Amino acid sequence: MQNSRIDLPMWAHAAALAALPLQTHTRLRRLLAHTDAQSAWDAVQRGTYVDERLPQRVRTAWREADKDLPQRMYIQCDEHGIDVVTHSDAEYPRVFSGDPSAPAVLFYKGSLTHLEQRRVAIIGTRHATRRGRHFASQLAAQLSDHGVAVVSGLARGIDVAAHVGLREHAGGAVSPIAVVASGIDVIYPREHAAIWRWVSDVGLVMSEAPPGTRPEAHLFPLRNRILACISEVVVVVESGVAGGSMITVREAEKRGRTVMAVPGAPGDEASVGTNALLRDGCAPVTDASDVLIELSIDHRNELSFSDVRELPTEEEQRVLLALQDGAATIEILTFRLAADVVMVALCLGRLEHKGWVAHERGWWEALTGSHTYSAPGRSIPHTIS
Amino acid sequence: MYAHIHSATLLGAQGHPLVVEAHIGKGIPGFTIVGLPDESCRESRDRVRAALLSSDLPWPNKRVTINLVGFGERKGGAALDLAIAIALLVAQELLPQSAVNECAFIGELGLDGSLRHTMGVAPLVMSVASREVVVAQADAEEAALIQPHILRAVPTLREVVECVLGNMSWPDVPTGVLQFPVRAIADMSDVRGQSFARRALEVAAAGHHHMLMVGSPGSGKSMLAKRLPGLLPALSHHEALQAAIVRSAAGVGHDDLVSDVPPFRAPHHSVSMVAMVGGGSAHMRPGEISLASGGVLFLDEMGEFAPSVLDALRQPLEDGVIRLSRARGSVEMPARFILIGASNPCPCGEVNPRLCTCSPHMIQRYVRRFSGPLLDRFDIRIMMNRPSAEDLVDEQPAEPSAAMAQRVSHARDVALARQGCLNADIPSEILDEVAPLSEGARDCLHHALSRATLSGRGYHRVRRVARTIADLKGAPEAVSIEYVELALQLRHDVMAKTVAV
Repeated sequence: MQNSRIDLPMWAHAAALAALPLQTHTRLRRLLAHTDAQSAWDAVQRGTYVDERLPQRVRTAWREADKDLPQRMYIQCDEHGIDVVTHSDAEYPRVFSGDPSAPAVLFYKGSLTHLEQRRVAIIGTRHATRRGRHFASQLAAQLSDHGVAVVSGLARGIDVAAHVGLREHAGGAVSPIAVVASGIDVIYPREHAAIWRWVSDVGLVMSEAPPGTRPEAHLFPLRNRILACISEVVVVVESGVAGGSMITVREAEKRGRTVMAVPGAPGDEASVGTNALLRDGCAPVTDASDVLIELSIDHRNELSFSDVRELPTEEEQRVLLALQDGAATIEILTFRLAADVVMVALCLGRLEHKGWVAHERGWWEALTGSHTYSAPGRSIPHTIS
Repeated sequence: MYAHIHSATLLGAQGHPLVVEAHIGKGIPGFTIVGLPDESCRESRDRVRAALLSSDLPWPNKRVTINLVGFGERKGGAALDLAIAIALLVAQELLPQSAVNECAFIGELGLDGSLRHTMGVAPLVMSVASREVVVAQADAEEAALIQPHILRAVPTLREVVECVLGNMSWPDVPTGVLQFPVRAIADMSDVRGQSFARRALEVAAAGHHHMLMVGSPGSGKSMLAKRLPGLLPALSHHEALQAAIVRSAAGVGHDDLVSDVPPFRAPHHSVSMVAMVGGGSAHMRPGEISLASGGVLFLDEMGEFAPSVLDALRQPLEDGVIRLSRARGSVEMPARFILIGASNPCPCGEVNPRLCTCSPHMIQRYVRRFSGPLLDRFDIRIMMNRPSAEDLVDEQPAEPSAAMAQRVSHARDVALARQGCLNADIPSEILDEVAPLSEGARDCLHHALSRATLSGRGYHRVRRVARTIADLKGAPEAVSIEYVELALQLRHDVMAKTVAV
């Protein structure tokens, strides 16, 4: 028995320690503070591990934990191709150094070298508008053109839109990074399986939760702290007043990371949080160059990204302008423009074909290059400058 | 001791002639009906006995055998009562056989000897070959629709006997002229806003396209659907008769059997398979789809219908008839209707994605209720929102049904003159001939196909809808790009999953 455990690599023991019942990142950090994973595991198993801050029930639960946990972790990680790194390893990401709440054990899929790139997090609400998702996708694609890696949480809405934009954008030479809350083998939400696999294939997916961990609510704020920690700049695209994005923002501020926000139309529910951030002094993001300047990347001669969409005709411009006041149905647009319903329907069809508008369940939204609110009468910017 | 009387029995929406034979002989007194009667038919014995006795006519206390000849299926219903009673009287030699040879008897008897309203009199009268038909007084108008040679309508059994004997003259019957009572249908001018949905409805009416409306509660889905019969051309004499025969066979609408307004049926979503497609008892009652034939079948809350019931609609939607096959044979009934479906977009019913409180998972589960093959049959699929405040206070009256019906009727005439069928039924082989595409329209459709917003099956359907839009605009030649673009707008992926990936 003793022999079989000696054969297991050190990381299997580290994984087992992370998978102990009632484990927290603080307890885990203290466990591994002065000793290697295998000795810590043996001490925990024998009950000789001394930590006066540990409640009795945790100590008991740890002592009674499954003896074969390292073995199991070894098999599970091996099966899903998950790698484990501990804070004492040479390859442990340097971004965490000095962080008081850095994860002592990290599970990841992909290569940690991707963390050497410039890193910008694009985050936002799960209940994003089409417009917000479009902006996130575009921003991610433009940043990747300038060698900036996009960090995100693979959640619904803005998070996944950023990575989808990256995947769809062929030119990008940098790799995506994702920080997830559940175990890396537990894909959540399930519909993101394809993009999840893509990120782990070409980039890096990391989590502090051992494989098999269910996506429980308390894990998400913890994930957000890691996300904030590894990003140089955090861009909030759309957010309500409360929510996960705001937790990431607070974690980023604690660590002195720059937080930037994308302005939205006043009164737009999806942008209440970002507008509040702007009011409180956050720098605004209207396109990629704002972020590039913040990262001190010289962008003057490199702006290769231009809007390739076919220009709307004059008639279509009118419809597009009417959409600047927010999402609308065909009937509302007909009323706003006092135009013929068939004309409006045709214009919307053509604008959709050209990529200027998108609809969800009959509600149409403008997908303008910049996310700014343009007053009626102002022309639609058709190139990013 | 022996008699044979002509009568008819009902199967599906059709009558079938048969002969009721009666034999009275020696033996232990008894009464048997042979020749595949069903339970309801066997009950005739007690009604006939009571009716004869109430009418002061004798009941033979001998060995009585009734045989139903000439139609191989199981016979049901009470329409044979009168024929059995007359057969018994002839067999007892109270009536001469020669007086009833040329006559068919159809009617249900009451215990007091009166003749009652009989389900399906119109198709029954239609099927008999005899020159003379005797029915209940209550059924006179219904039978008169068929215009038999000589129609006799009598209130009681006693009077039938007296008239046959010649002691009384037959009562007067209404002349068989089909008269359409003027019936008020809800008008399109009551509908506020929904300008796009109005156009869609007009296209549906003109091309006989099936239409699916997805929208929040209160957006006016059923309001619009109810007004569709007013946009369709009035039924012809023949069509109205067909509709009346089906209604008669199903035993619905005795008072307003005849109408030139296209039928409108809106079964509740708890409807059973049999009630929807027809069948059930021995005489195979017509279902909702046959009752809606020539008009509109409206399925509100389409997601709530049993999936098997919805899937059963697929064959009649293709063929325009429903074929019900049973072990002993099959029955064909008309089922050519415009299907109008209505549904909420998700469990919470809010169309605006920003206000919808459903999780993507809930929406997916809701959407899965609609099978792809059924969704494919809707040529027109639109989203509907609640009318805005501006629409509700808008003082301008909306366009009335009459003006829309005129355009619809014109477009239908154009289509019928061109290809002999309505646009929804254009076979795909001749689409290039009757609905050629302009250069731009072809590019536009190919683009939609390549972006996978349009399936191969949808391709032909969009072309048919585009043809209808062009016909409504009075553009008879090639289908140009605007019509194709509008047809694509009328075919939204209304059940699209809201997941971004």
